[in-house]
Amino acid sequence: MESYDVIVLGGGVNGTGTARDLALRGLSVLLLEKADVACGASGANSGMIHGGIRYMLSDRKVTELACRDSGYIQRIAPHLLFRIPFLLPFASREEAPSLVERATWYATEVYVGTYDQYQPLKRGKPSTRLSAEDLYRLEPALRPGLAGAVTFDEWGIDSHRLCVLNALSARSHGAVIRTWTEARQVLTDSGRVRGVRYHDALTGETGEARAPVVFNATGAWSPGFARRNGLRVPMRPGKGVHLTLDRRFSNYGITCTAVDGRQMFLMPHENDSIIGTTDDDYYGDPDDLEATHDEVEYLLEGVEALVPGVRRARVARAWCGLRTTLYEYGKNEDALSREHAILDHGGEGAAGLLSIVGGKLASYRAQSEEVADQIVRRLGRAASRSRTHLEPLPGGEAVPDVAELAARHRVAAPAVARIVYRHGARAEDVLRLCDDDPRLRLVLCREEGILAAEVVHCVRHEMVRRLQDLRRRCRLAVGACGGLDCARAAAQLTGRELSWSADQIRAELADLLELGWRERRPVLDGQQLAQEELLRGAHQGVGRL
Amino acid sequence: MAGTMAALAARAAGVRVVVVRRAPGATALSSGAVGVAPDTWTPPGEPFASRLGTMAAARRIAASRPEHSYAVLGSALDHLEEAVAFAAGRLGDVIAEPRPQPFYIATPYGAAMTCALVQRTMVAADLASARGTLVVVGFRGHLGFDAGLVAGGLARYVALGAPRAEPAEIDLFMHEEASVARPHELAKALEAPGAAEQAGLLLRRALPAGASAALFPPVLGLSPSARVMERIAEAVGIPVAETVSDVPSVPGLRLQSALDASLAAAGVPLIAGELTGATVPGTSSRVGDREVVAGSWVLATGRFVGGGIVRRGRLEEPLLGIPVQASENGESGVHLAVRPSASLTARERRAPQPLMAAGLRVDRHLRPLDAAGAPVHHRLFAAGAVIGGHEAAADGTGLGIAILTGYLAGRAAAAA
Repeated sequence: MESYDVIVLGGGVNGTGTARDLALRGLSVLLLEKADVACGASGANSGMIHGGIRYMLSDRKVTELACRDSGYIQRIAPHLLFRIPFLLPFASREEAPSLVERATWYATEVYVGTYDQYQPLKRGKPSTRLSAEDLYRLEPALRPGLAGAVTFDEWGIDSHRLCVLNALSARSHGAVIRTWTEARQVLTDSGRVRGVRYHDALTGETGEARAPVVFNATGAWSPGFARRNGLRVPMRPGKGVHLTLDRRFSNYGITCTAVDGRQMFLMPHENDSIIGTTDDDYYGDPDDLEATHDEVEYLLEGVEALVPGVRRARVARAWCGLRTTLYEYGKNEDALSREHAILDHGGEGAAGLLSIVGGKLASYRAQSEEVADQIVRRLGRAASRSRTHLEPLPGGEAVPDVAELAARHRVAAPAVARIVYRHGARAEDVLRLCDDDPRLRLVLCREEGILAAEVVHCVRHEMVRRLQDLRRRCRLAVGACGGLDCARAAAQLTGRELSWSADQIRAELADLLELGWRERRPVLDGQQLAQEELLRGAHQGVGRL
Repeated sequence: MAGTMAALAARAAGVRVVVVRRAPGATALSSGAVGVAPDTWTPPGEPFASRLGTMAAARRIAASRPEHSYAVLGSALDHLEEAVAFAAGRLGDVIAEPRPQPFYIATPYGAAMTCALVQRTMVAADLASARGTLVVVGFRGHLGFDAGLVAGGLARYVALGAPRAEPAEIDLFMHEEASVARPHELAKALEAPGAAEQAGLLLRRALPAGASAALFPPVLGLSPSARVMERIAEAVGIPVAETVSDVPSVPGLRLQSALDASLAAAGVPLIAGELTGATVPGTSSRVGDREVVAGSWVLATGRFVGGGIVRRGRLEEPLLGIPVQASENGESGVHLAVRPSASLTARERRAPQPLMAAGLRVDRHLRPLDAAGAPVHHRLFAAGAVIGGHEAAADGTGLGIAILTGYLAGRAAAAA
């Protein structure tokens, strides 16, 4: 009978972050995730450690917490963050701006200037005011007729890697991380939690794990999970859709206004561009999210008003996630609070079960610290300080020099840059595989800079159990190629490492292709259709998958 | 494929022909073999369960799919064998003689494809006719192809009469530069003097008992004149073949080269460039600074890869503005060309996808139809993937339709 101090349910940013915090404090932790790390909102968000400028007037606490914790995330994973300066353009109806318009611009400048007080917390640069001339020089793709802009700073991040690194850190401090393993039932005894019953989807194994505390961080799956266990987690799941373009389309982030007045954006992100996002109440199955035609059109229309050329861009994917927004009846989605809440199910006959609802990616570490503090108190352990803001995440110890690594390991610098981005100081381990086995220098994806060595490294060291996990480890088949170049080769490599049969390799490939299809289907247009024809020819025609 | 067949068929009828091409299209990116008519009654992914001849399978497709080109052509479908033989004859340097039964060729994914025409480099490992044990060759120095995946996948077909397959790795491409090479670079490397022979000798040492034929990854040279397959076979002592390919495709490139060579052999000029100012057959248009006038036109511009059909918010045929037909929920029509992509596709990835089969409507004489259903022009014809009703890449009939419609359209254009 497996026995732990804490069982954490959910491999998103809250689950992995809390597991890490607890493990660092010496507690024994089991983390169960029914799919893979970062399969929920933690893997479908805007990809920013968001300073939360939007909430500054309504929810200042959210903004301050987000900015302060962004600073900590930078410190523990410096390789994982990249600057995205944003432009907030000013438009006027006539040639000469009216008094109201100029007043609005001044107010915006002041608003963003007020946000500046939080920038030092996250090492962001202060805002600046751009003239029209400056603006067009920096961003020529903007439509004519703009009067200038205000800039503000945000940080971009690969949130999948953030979750993976938290999980790896937890594991290295003794936590047991089990992906593709679902907690089916919470076990209680006289109103107290005593553990969970779980099921491993890949092996069919079922079992029971004991713990006096269970932390439910299953995100959008919480309400369903709670219901099945006779409990309640009130939530208003908010569907958010993003589009990925096949390349960097703008130099900077551009804040746009959608047709209904909502603020949205087009921004460069890693090697491509992201357009986001929507926010709509969702009543469906969280396992069955797909972007609709209306959502795609809404996003393109919103950007088109400022960047007319976006209609000629190649949209490579449309991906969706569910925000775990706190429940409140009667408010519009945008107006709902982004604060987090920790629910105690003691009153429902499950003392020792905690659930988290709401919150922001940027504040995950602080949220996890809060939960960990509560759990330590409950367990009656001596109070301990969280160290998660001090100890670097795996690979975050130092950011290696790309040119030096590229020269020493004889790998092209752009590919090394991607490996350094994803693995930080551990890039050395990945590249050493190339020295030991030169065949691993084979490039699987030229767009995302994926080498065979990185696939092998991830499979050996980063809890990969299924081929699709590599989407979240090293962006396999997530670029514009849709897996045309990389999927078969990666399946072959993974199959060798994990001793898969030919049938298993084919089944895993088919599974990977399903995910890609779901993301491409809503955006088949233009050049993307030609790519789809090639993909279907290769995978269905030749692969018979 | 479609354009070249049309040009060759028209030339054979004695008229002067010119081919205008912006760039090579989907054929250069194809598997390298020609799928004409897989048996649609066998389970998907189990091609080997059927032994239906190509002509009978084509008739079966025509009977069950009324929107498919084989059905639209009506009695013209009877020319299928003649058209396939015509193509094989003109591409004889690369394409092997056709048989009444289809070939079954292994793919790098551990599956098999039904093909009516295959390259000479593929015949020896035809699963329907090979006996004994097939040795699936892997290159120890290059991780791009996995002999274990191919051999393990082919194990499914043994019960249906396919040969046993066993993987064997040879120490080829063991140096750094070769390890990271792309498929066409591997193919070029094998063309070098002594390289193919070395591969054969290495394989001879690693041959399992009872090996009757060897199956290589699809990189057996770019040019048939380099005789890579033959040289390896001489060195190893058993017949040698390659699989078909995914993208990028060395066999596809080889096929495209053979098509271009056949045009040259027939005295058909090939002009590279984009056609502008095209309105109707008989009037002049331009390619760059050259003027082109032709009495009959065959539109063989392909679908999405070729650029003959595009979708920019709606489905269009960009050269002449001919209406494009799409299907949605069993209903077909040009009015559906404006429908959103998602409603022209199915959630199930493996299901037929009407969007991928969108294209021009044609009459049984291969003349594209306007919105009212009348031929756009009595001397305008269409061939290949620009015609709707089939999913060229994925349903196994793409190049077959290209050959048949190209052949028929070329003859019709010459006679018009």
